[in-house]
Amino acid sequence: MPPHLLSRPLPDAIKTEVERLFLDKVISNLGLCVSVYDIRSIEGGSIHPGEGCSTYKVSFRLLMFKPFNGEVLVGRIIGYDDKGLQVSLDFFSDISIPGHLMQFGTVRGPDGRWMLKTEDGDELYLDLDDEIRFLVSSTKYPPIPIDQKEDDPPFAPMQIVGSIKGDGLGLLAWWAADEEEGEEAAEQEQEQ
Amino acid sequence: MKIEKANAGVLTNFEVLDFLRSRGAKTDPMGCLGAVTASECKVYEYLLKTPACNQTRESVFEFVKRSEGFRLADADKLNVINWRPSSAADAYAMIEECGRRFSRDERGDVRDEDEWVQEFLEIVKEALPPPPPKAEAVQE
Repeated sequence: MPPHLLSRPLPDAIKTEVERLFLDKVISNLGLCVSVYDIRSIEGGSIHPGEGCSTYKVSFRLLMFKPFNGEVLVGRIIGYDDKGLQVSLDFFSDISIPGHLMQFGTVRGPDGRWMLKTEDGDELYLDLDDEIRFLVSSTKYPPIPIDQKEDDPPFAPMQIVGSIKGDGLGLLAWWAADEEEGEEAAEQEQEQ
Repeated sequence: MKIEKANAGVLTNFEVLDFLRSRGAKTDPMGCLGAVTASECKVYEYLLKTPACNQTRESVFEFVKRSEGFRLADADKLNVINWRPSSAADAYAMIEECGRRFSRDERGDVRDEDEWVQEFLEIVKEALPPPPPKAEAVQE
Protein backbone atom coordinates (compact mmCIF):
# COMPACT_ATOMS: atom_id res chain seq x y z
CA MET A 1 0.00 0.00 0.00
CA PRO A 2 1.90 3.09 -1.18
CA PRO A 3 2.06 5.98 1.32
CA HIS A 4 0.05 8.40 -0.81
CA LEU A 5 -3.05 6.26 -0.35
CA LEU A 6 -2.77 5.95 3.44
CA SER A 7 -5.08 8.87 4.13
CA ARG A 8 -8.04 7.14 2.47
CA PRO A 9 -10.31 4.67 4.26
CA LEU A 10 -8.56 1.31 4.17
CA PRO A 11 -11.04 -0.78 2.11
CA ASP A 12 -11.19 1.92 -0.61
CA ALA A 13 -7.42 2.30 -0.77
CA ILE A 14 -6.92 -1.47 -0.98
CA LYS A 15 -9.56 -1.74 -3.70
CA THR A 16 -7.80 0.98 -5.71
CA GLU A 17 -4.49 -0.85 -5.43
CA VAL A 18 -6.01 -4.19 -6.46
CA GLU A 19 -7.71 -2.50 -9.41
CA ARG A 20 -4.47 -0.89 -10.47
CA LEU A 21 -2.75 -4.25 -10.42
CA PHE A 22 -5.36 -6.33 -12.22
CA LEU A 23 -8.01 -4.31 -14.04
CA ASP A 24 -7.97 -4.68 -17.83
CA LYS A 25 -5.04 -7.10 -17.57
CA VAL A 26 -4.83 -10.71 -18.63
CA ILE A 27 -3.89 -13.36 -16.08
CA SER A 28 -2.53 -16.45 -17.79
CA ASN A 29 -5.13 -19.24 -18.01
CA LEU A 30 -7.63 -17.21 -16.00
CA GLY A 31 -8.73 -14.65 -18.53
CA LEU A 32 -9.11 -10.89 -18.68
CA CYS A 33 -9.86 -9.12 -15.43
CA VAL A 34 -12.96 -6.99 -15.91
CA SER A 35 -13.62 -5.82 -12.38
CA VAL A 36 -12.86 -6.35 -8.71
CA TYR A 37 -15.92 -8.27 -7.52
CA ASP A 38 -15.34 -7.86 -3.79
CA ILE A 39 -12.74 -7.75 -1.03
CA ARG A 40 -13.26 -10.62 1.36
CA SER A 41 -10.66 -10.00 4.07
CA ILE A 42 -7.79 -7.69 4.91
CA GLU A 43 -5.08 -8.65 7.35
CA GLY A 44 -1.80 -7.20 8.34
CA GLY A 45 -0.76 -3.59 8.14
CA SER A 46 2.86 -4.20 9.03
CA ILE A 47 5.60 -1.95 7.72
CA HIS A 48 8.77 -3.55 6.45
CA PRO A 49 12.06 -1.90 7.39
CA GLY A 50 13.39 0.42 4.69
CA GLU A 51 9.98 0.97 3.05
CA GLY A 52 7.38 3.70 3.42
CA CYS A 53 4.43 1.55 2.46
CA SER A 54 2.43 -0.82 4.63
CA THR A 55 1.88 -4.41 3.58
CA TYR A 56 -1.48 -6.14 3.81
CA LYS A 57 -2.65 -9.64 3.06
CA VAL A 58 -5.85 -9.25 1.09
CA SER A 59 -8.29 -11.90 -0.02
CA PHE A 60 -10.48 -10.76 -2.91
CA ARG A 61 -12.49 -12.00 -5.86
CA LEU A 62 -12.04 -10.80 -9.42
CA LEU A 63 -14.65 -10.80 -12.16
CA MET A 64 -12.94 -12.39 -15.17
CA PHE A 65 -13.81 -12.57 -18.82
CA LYS A 66 -13.03 -16.16 -19.67
CA PRO A 67 -15.47 -17.74 -22.10
CA PHE A 68 -15.68 -21.53 -21.89
CA ASN A 69 -15.25 -23.76 -24.94
CA GLY A 70 -18.70 -24.00 -26.45
CA GLU A 71 -19.87 -20.59 -25.25
CA VAL A 72 -21.74 -18.50 -27.80
CA LEU A 73 -20.58 -14.90 -28.30
CA VAL A 74 -21.66 -12.12 -30.65
CA GLY A 75 -19.12 -9.63 -31.97
CA ARG A 76 -18.25 -7.41 -34.94
CA ILE A 77 -15.91 -8.26 -37.79
CA ILE A 78 -12.96 -5.87 -37.67
CA GLY A 79 -10.63 -7.44 -40.19
CA TYR A 80 -9.85 -10.34 -42.43
CA ASP A 81 -6.77 -11.87 -43.99
CA ASP A 82 -5.85 -15.08 -45.70
CA LYS A 83 -5.95 -17.00 -42.43
CA GLY A 84 -9.46 -15.97 -41.48
CA LEU A 85 -11.54 -13.29 -39.79
CA GLN A 86 -10.79 -11.03 -36.88
CA VAL A 87 -13.68 -10.29 -34.54
CA SER A 88 -14.04 -7.79 -31.73
CA LEU A 89 -16.25 -7.55 -28.67
CA ASP A 90 -15.80 -3.87 -27.93
CA PHE A 91 -13.72 -4.53 -24.83
CA PHE A 92 -11.71 -7.42 -26.30
CA SER A 93 -10.43 -7.69 -29.83
CA ASP A 94 -8.09 -10.67 -30.06
CA ILE A 95 -10.56 -13.12 -31.52
CA SER A 96 -9.85 -14.97 -34.73
CA ILE A 97 -12.02 -17.28 -36.79
CA PRO A 98 -9.75 -19.40 -38.99
CA GLY A 99 -10.82 -20.54 -42.43
CA HIS A 100 -11.16 -24.19 -41.41
CA LEU A 101 -13.71 -23.33 -38.71
CA MET A 102 -16.10 -21.55 -41.03
CA GLN A 103 -19.27 -22.94 -42.59
CA PHE A 104 -18.53 -25.58 -45.16
CA GLY A 105 -18.14 -23.84 -48.51
CA THR A 106 -16.74 -20.52 -47.30
CA VAL A 107 -13.93 -19.27 -49.51
CA ARG A 108 -11.93 -16.11 -49.98
CA GLY A 109 -13.50 -13.92 -52.68
CA PRO A 110 -11.55 -12.00 -55.35
CA ASP A 111 -11.41 -8.80 -53.27
CA GLY A 112 -10.10 -10.54 -50.16
CA ARG A 113 -13.40 -10.81 -48.28
CA TRP A 114 -14.55 -14.22 -47.09
CA MET A 115 -17.67 -15.48 -48.79
CA LEU A 116 -20.10 -18.33 -48.27
CA LYS A 117 -21.75 -19.81 -51.32
CA THR A 118 -25.12 -21.32 -50.39
CA GLU A 119 -26.92 -24.16 -52.11
CA ASP A 120 -29.26 -21.66 -53.77
CA GLY A 121 -26.27 -19.96 -55.36
CA ASP A 122 -26.37 -16.87 -53.12
CA GLU A 123 -23.03 -15.35 -52.27
CA LEU A 124 -23.01 -14.28 -48.64
CA TYR A 125 -20.11 -11.98 -47.89
CA LEU A 126 -18.62 -11.50 -44.44
CA ASP A 127 -18.02 -7.74 -44.34
CA LEU A 128 -16.37 -5.36 -41.89
CA ASP A 129 -18.70 -4.25 -39.09
CA ASP A 130 -21.06 -7.18 -39.67
CA GLU A 131 -22.38 -8.68 -36.45
CA ILE A 132 -21.32 -12.29 -36.18
CA ARG A 133 -22.32 -15.05 -33.75
CA PHE A 134 -19.62 -17.62 -33.07
CA LEU A 135 -18.78 -20.50 -30.77
CA VAL A 136 -15.61 -20.33 -28.67
CA SER A 137 -13.43 -23.16 -29.87
CA SER A 138 -10.38 -22.59 -27.67
CA THR A 139 -8.49 -19.88 -25.77
CA LYS A 140 -4.72 -19.57 -25.95
CA TYR A 141 -2.39 -17.72 -23.61
CA PRO A 142 0.88 -17.44 -25.49
CA PRO A 143 3.99 -16.67 -23.39
CA ILE A 144 5.40 -13.15 -23.58
CA PRO A 145 7.91 -13.03 -26.45
CA ILE A 146 11.49 -12.12 -25.59
CA ASP A 147 12.19 -10.15 -28.74
CA GLN A 148 9.83 -9.03 -31.44
CA LYS A 149 10.66 -8.03 -34.98
CA GLU A 150 9.53 -4.62 -36.24
CA ASP A 151 6.52 -5.71 -38.25
CA ASP A 152 5.20 -8.41 -35.92
CA PRO A 153 1.59 -7.84 -34.85
CA PRO A 154 1.28 -6.43 -31.31
CA PHE A 155 1.52 -9.15 -28.69
CA ALA A 156 -1.83 -10.53 -27.57
CA PRO A 157 -1.62 -12.28 -24.19
CA MET A 158 -5.03 -13.91 -24.62
CA GLN A 159 -6.23 -15.15 -27.99
CA ILE A 160 -9.65 -16.67 -28.56
CA VAL A 161 -10.23 -18.97 -31.51
CA GLY A 162 -13.83 -19.03 -32.67
CA SER A 163 -15.88 -21.24 -34.95
CA ILE A 164 -18.85 -20.42 -37.15
CA LYS A 165 -19.30 -23.96 -38.37
CA GLY A 166 -22.77 -24.98 -37.36
CA ASP A 167 -26.45 -24.08 -37.30
CA GLY A 168 -27.27 -20.64 -36.06
CA LEU A 169 -23.66 -19.45 -36.30
CA GLY A 170 -22.22 -16.82 -38.60
CA LEU A 171 -23.65 -13.41 -39.45
CA LEU A 172 -26.77 -12.59 -37.43
CA ALA A 173 -28.34 -11.41 -40.66
CA TRP A 174 -28.13 -14.91 -42.18
CA TRP A 175 -30.33 -16.49 -39.53
CA ALA A 176 -32.76 -13.67 -38.81
CA ALA A 177 -33.78 -13.14 -42.42
CA ASP A 178 -35.76 -16.28 -43.04
CA GLU A 179 -36.47 -18.45 -40.03
CA GLU A 180 -38.19 -21.15 -42.06
CA GLU A 181 -35.22 -21.50 -44.37
CA GLY A 182 -32.95 -21.81 -41.37
CA GLU A 183 -35.06 -24.61 -39.90
CA GLU A 184 -35.06 -26.56 -43.14
CA ALA A 185 -31.31 -26.24 -43.41
CA ALA A 186 -30.98 -27.49 -39.84
CA GLU A 187 -33.16 -30.52 -40.55
CA GLN A 188 -31.20 -31.38 -43.68
CA GLU A 189 -27.92 -31.22 -41.83
CA GLN A 190 -29.29 -33.42 -39.06
CA GLU A 191 -30.35 -36.07 -41.56
CA GLN A 192 -26.89 -36.11 -43.07
CA MET B 1 0.02 -13.53 -5.01
CA LYS B 2 -1.58 -16.89 -4.40
CA ILE B 3 -4.61 -18.09 -6.33
CA GLU B 4 -7.00 -19.61 -3.81
CA LYS B 5 -9.59 -20.75 -6.28
CA ALA B 6 -9.20 -20.42 -10.03
CA ASN B 7 -12.92 -20.60 -10.72
CA ALA B 8 -15.23 -19.48 -7.95
CA GLY B 9 -18.31 -19.60 -10.13
CA VAL B 10 -19.78 -18.74 -13.51
CA LEU B 11 -21.83 -15.56 -14.06
CA THR B 12 -24.37 -14.87 -16.76
CA ASN B 13 -24.14 -11.64 -18.77
CA PHE B 14 -27.09 -10.39 -16.79
CA GLU B 15 -25.28 -10.87 -13.45
CA VAL B 16 -22.21 -9.03 -14.71
CA LEU B 17 -24.41 -6.21 -16.00
CA ASP B 18 -26.22 -6.02 -12.68
CA PHE B 19 -22.90 -5.91 -10.82
CA LEU B 20 -21.51 -3.12 -13.01
CA ARG B 21 -24.77 -1.20 -12.69
CA SER B 22 -24.63 -1.45 -8.92
CA ARG B 23 -21.07 -0.08 -9.06
CA GLY B 24 -22.36 2.98 -10.85
CA ALA B 25 -21.82 2.29 -14.55
CA LYS B 26 -24.00 4.39 -16.82
CA THR B 27 -24.35 4.79 -20.58
CA ASP B 28 -23.32 8.45 -20.42
CA PRO B 29 -19.56 8.35 -21.07
CA MET B 30 -18.81 11.37 -18.87
CA GLY B 31 -20.81 10.08 -15.94
CA CYS B 32 -18.95 6.76 -15.97
CA LEU B 33 -15.52 7.98 -14.98
CA GLY B 34 -16.08 8.60 -11.31
CA ALA B 35 -17.33 5.25 -10.17
CA VAL B 36 -16.05 2.80 -12.75
CA THR B 37 -13.03 2.74 -15.02
CA ALA B 38 -13.09 3.16 -18.79
CA SER B 39 -12.49 -0.55 -19.41
CA GLU B 40 -15.42 -1.50 -17.16
CA CYS B 41 -17.51 1.03 -19.08
CA LYS B 42 -16.67 -0.71 -22.35
CA VAL B 43 -17.82 -4.04 -20.95
CA TYR B 44 -21.00 -2.41 -19.67
CA GLU B 45 -21.80 -0.89 -23.06
CA TYR B 46 -21.15 -4.19 -24.82
CA LEU B 47 -23.48 -6.04 -22.47
CA LEU B 48 -26.21 -3.44 -22.96
CA LYS B 49 -26.39 -4.49 -26.60
CA THR B 50 -27.13 -8.11 -25.66
CA PRO B 51 -30.49 -9.56 -24.52
CA ALA B 52 -29.16 -9.33 -20.94
CA CYS B 53 -29.94 -5.62 -20.83
CA ASN B 54 -33.58 -5.99 -19.83
CA GLN B 55 -33.48 -9.27 -17.93
CA THR B 56 -34.39 -9.52 -14.26
CA ARG B 57 -33.45 -12.01 -11.57
CA GLU B 58 -37.04 -13.29 -11.56
CA SER B 59 -37.06 -13.97 -15.29
CA VAL B 60 -33.80 -15.91 -15.08
CA PHE B 61 -35.09 -17.99 -12.14
CA GLU B 62 -38.33 -18.64 -13.99
CA PHE B 63 -36.50 -19.85 -17.05
CA VAL B 64 -34.29 -22.21 -15.02
CA LYS B 65 -37.31 -23.62 -13.20
CA ARG B 66 -39.39 -24.16 -16.32
CA SER B 67 -36.60 -25.71 -18.36
CA GLU B 68 -35.79 -28.39 -15.78
CA GLY B 69 -37.60 -31.00 -17.85
CA PHE B 70 -35.15 -30.52 -20.69
CA ARG B 71 -32.14 -31.54 -18.58
CA LEU B 72 -29.81 -28.89 -19.98
CA ALA B 73 -26.19 -28.63 -18.94
CA ASP B 74 -25.10 -25.46 -17.13
CA ALA B 75 -23.20 -24.39 -20.24
CA ASP B 76 -26.35 -24.68 -22.38
CA LYS B 77 -28.41 -22.71 -19.85
CA LEU B 78 -25.77 -19.99 -19.83
CA ASN B 79 -25.81 -19.70 -23.61
CA VAL B 80 -29.60 -19.57 -23.71
CA ILE B 81 -29.90 -16.99 -20.92
CA ASN B 82 -27.20 -14.84 -22.50
CA TRP B 83 -28.55 -14.88 -26.03
CA ARG B 84 -32.25 -15.79 -25.86
CA PRO B 85 -32.69 -18.05 -28.91
CA SER B 86 -35.83 -17.30 -30.90
CA SER B 87 -35.59 -19.86 -33.67
CA ALA B 88 -34.65 -23.51 -34.04
CA ALA B 89 -31.33 -22.53 -35.65
CA ASP B 90 -30.46 -20.39 -32.62
CA ALA B 91 -31.30 -23.28 -30.30
CA TYR B 92 -29.09 -25.66 -32.26
CA ALA B 93 -26.19 -23.20 -31.99
CA MET B 94 -26.56 -22.73 -28.25
CA ILE B 95 -27.30 -26.22 -27.01
CA GLU B 96 -24.60 -28.79 -27.53
CA GLU B 97 -25.76 -31.79 -29.57
CA CYS B 98 -29.26 -30.35 -29.60
CA GLY B 99 -30.72 -32.75 -32.11
CA ARG B 100 -29.42 -35.86 -30.41
CA ARG B 101 -30.36 -34.68 -26.91
CA PHE B 102 -33.90 -33.68 -27.80
CA SER B 103 -34.70 -36.79 -29.79
CA ARG B 104 -35.34 -39.02 -26.81
CA ASP B 105 -37.58 -38.30 -23.84
CA GLU B 106 -37.16 -39.46 -20.22
CA ARG B 107 -38.38 -42.98 -20.91
CA GLY B 108 -35.98 -43.44 -23.82
CA ASP B 109 -38.69 -43.47 -26.53
CA VAL B 110 -38.07 -41.60 -29.74
CA ARG B 111 -39.96 -38.33 -29.98
CA ASP B 112 -40.24 -35.55 -32.46
CA GLU B 113 -37.25 -33.34 -31.78
CA ASP B 114 -38.70 -30.38 -33.68
CA GLU B 115 -41.72 -30.32 -31.40
CA TRP B 116 -39.54 -30.36 -28.33
CA VAL B 117 -37.31 -27.62 -29.71
CA GLN B 118 -40.43 -25.53 -30.39
CA GLU B 119 -41.71 -26.21 -26.88
CA PHE B 120 -38.36 -25.16 -25.49
CA LEU B 121 -38.38 -21.96 -27.55
CA GLU B 122 -41.87 -21.17 -26.21
CA ILE B 123 -40.57 -21.40 -22.66
CA VAL B 124 -37.65 -19.14 -23.56
CA LYS B 125 -39.99 -16.64 -25.18
CA GLU B 126 -42.31 -16.58 -22.17
CA ALA B 127 -39.77 -16.60 -19.37
CA LEU B 128 -37.09 -14.25 -20.72
CA PRO B 129 -38.00 -10.75 -21.93
CA PRO B 130 -37.42 -10.03 -25.64
CA PRO B 131 -34.40 -7.96 -26.65
CA PRO B 132 -35.08 -4.22 -27.06
CA PRO B 133 -36.68 -3.04 -30.34
CA LYS B 134 -33.47 -1.41 -31.69
CA ALA B 135 -31.79 -4.82 -32.04
CA GLU B 136 -34.79 -6.27 -33.89
CA ALA B 137 -34.89 -3.32 -36.29
CA VAL B 138 -31.27 -3.97 -37.26
CA GLN B 139 -32.08 -7.62 -38.06
CA GLU B 140 -34.95 -6.62 -40.30
